[in-house]
Amino acid sequence: MKDIKRRIKSVGSTRQITKAMELVASSKLRKAKQRAEQGRPYFYELYRSMCEIASANTDFSTVYTQKRDVKNRLFIVIAGDRGLAGGYNSNLLKLAAAAHAGDADKPKIIAIGKKSIEYFSKRGYELVGSFADVAEDIKQSTAQDIANIALEMFKKGEVDDVQLFYTTFVSSLTQEPQQMAVLPMKTQKLDNYGTMCYDPSPEAVFDRIVPRFTASLLQCAIVEAYASEQGARRTAMESATDNADTMIADLSLLYNRARQASITQELTEIVSGANALE
Amino acid sequence: MTPFKLEIITPEKKFFDGETEQIIVRTTVGDVGILNGHEPYCAALGIGQMRVMIDGKFRHAATSGGIIKVNREKTVVLVDSCEWADEIDVTRAEAAKDRAEARIKKGESDRQIRMAEAKLKRALNRIDTARYK
Repeated sequence: MKDIKRRIKSVGSTRQITKAMELVASSKLRKAKQRAEQGRPYFYELYRSMCEIASANTDFSTVYTQKRDVKNRLFIVIAGDRGLAGGYNSNLLKLAAAAHAGDADKPKIIAIGKKSIEYFSKRGYELVGSFADVAEDIKQSTAQDIANIALEMFKKGEVDDVQLFYTTFVSSLTQEPQQMAVLPMKTQKLDNYGTMCYDPSPEAVFDRIVPRFTASLLQCAIVEAYASEQGARRTAMESATDNADTMIADLSLLYNRARQASITQELTEIVSGANALE
Repeated sequence: MTPFKLEIITPEKKFFDGETEQIIVRTTVGDVGILNGHEPYCAALGIGQMRVMIDGKFRHAATSGGIIKVNREKTVVLVDSCEWADEIDVTRAEAAKDRAEARIKKGESDRQIRMAEAKLKRALNRIDTARYK
């Protein structure tokens, strides 16, 4: 009986923790969603400007749009800083691992988030950049630093292909790991781009946009991945809390039965004791 | 002067969304003023001041690099950061300036010096802009 009581207590305190984590995750999720909204216009306008330049200048080429034979690859992998978020981290890392399954060499890695750093450094990948604890409050300058590493390597020809792995936020309940090509850059052909006068030249403006666009892309991806992480954690903690609730209910039933049994037994003992005296 | 639509967007948020009569920005090749009916135009912006005329009065803002895009329907300024002169925290800018100067003096690697120089430039620009409160 004492054992059951102790278990109820321990499950109860675990429940308190999971419930608290659930609440924290949902408030963080709300903030992250808001940030994702706010960052979107900037990203969208940059992307549009790039497409406009590429569409209006057919003979136009910069190093960033060049397709080369892929020999060396760079993966940017955004995972969480903490666990306890259901399959959030493992699903994403699995996707990244599967993406280079057919390659002869392991790709170079830029790892964002502690779980990502841990995973790749343990398995002997070459980490060209690792960023921990940046996701919650990602700054433009941090995103720019990350982007610069990738751009520099691509420009120098150290890598021929840059892929981004992050988790998209489909809804509060579903998050999907996703792969996205960053470099060489792809632009969409626009139909109504008009004629624009570029100062000093289309290439100069384009080259100015590219680092910002890449940084903005990363920033958006990190914010979205962070929102996904919180969503995943909230769902995981919600089910943990529910499980704890059913466990407590089961255990209390067991406890009450045991208590009743012991009372009944005591009563029988007293009655039979009294009978014996007569 | 006829007002036209202007949007100033930074990675964090839409900084300004409204009407202006004239805007002057610092491009990489010099200051450029935009009035209503300007031809479609797109230029790279450096670190510098931006002046936005609202109701006949110029408001000054400190911006760092980005682009400006002028269309028939609206003008869009995309910059890394933007602050109105009266929102600039001068003590913070001074501190940033001192930090950057110290780092340049220490001079560890080329890359770090270049980064510190960019920081110094931004800090000086903010201090300079803050005078136009």
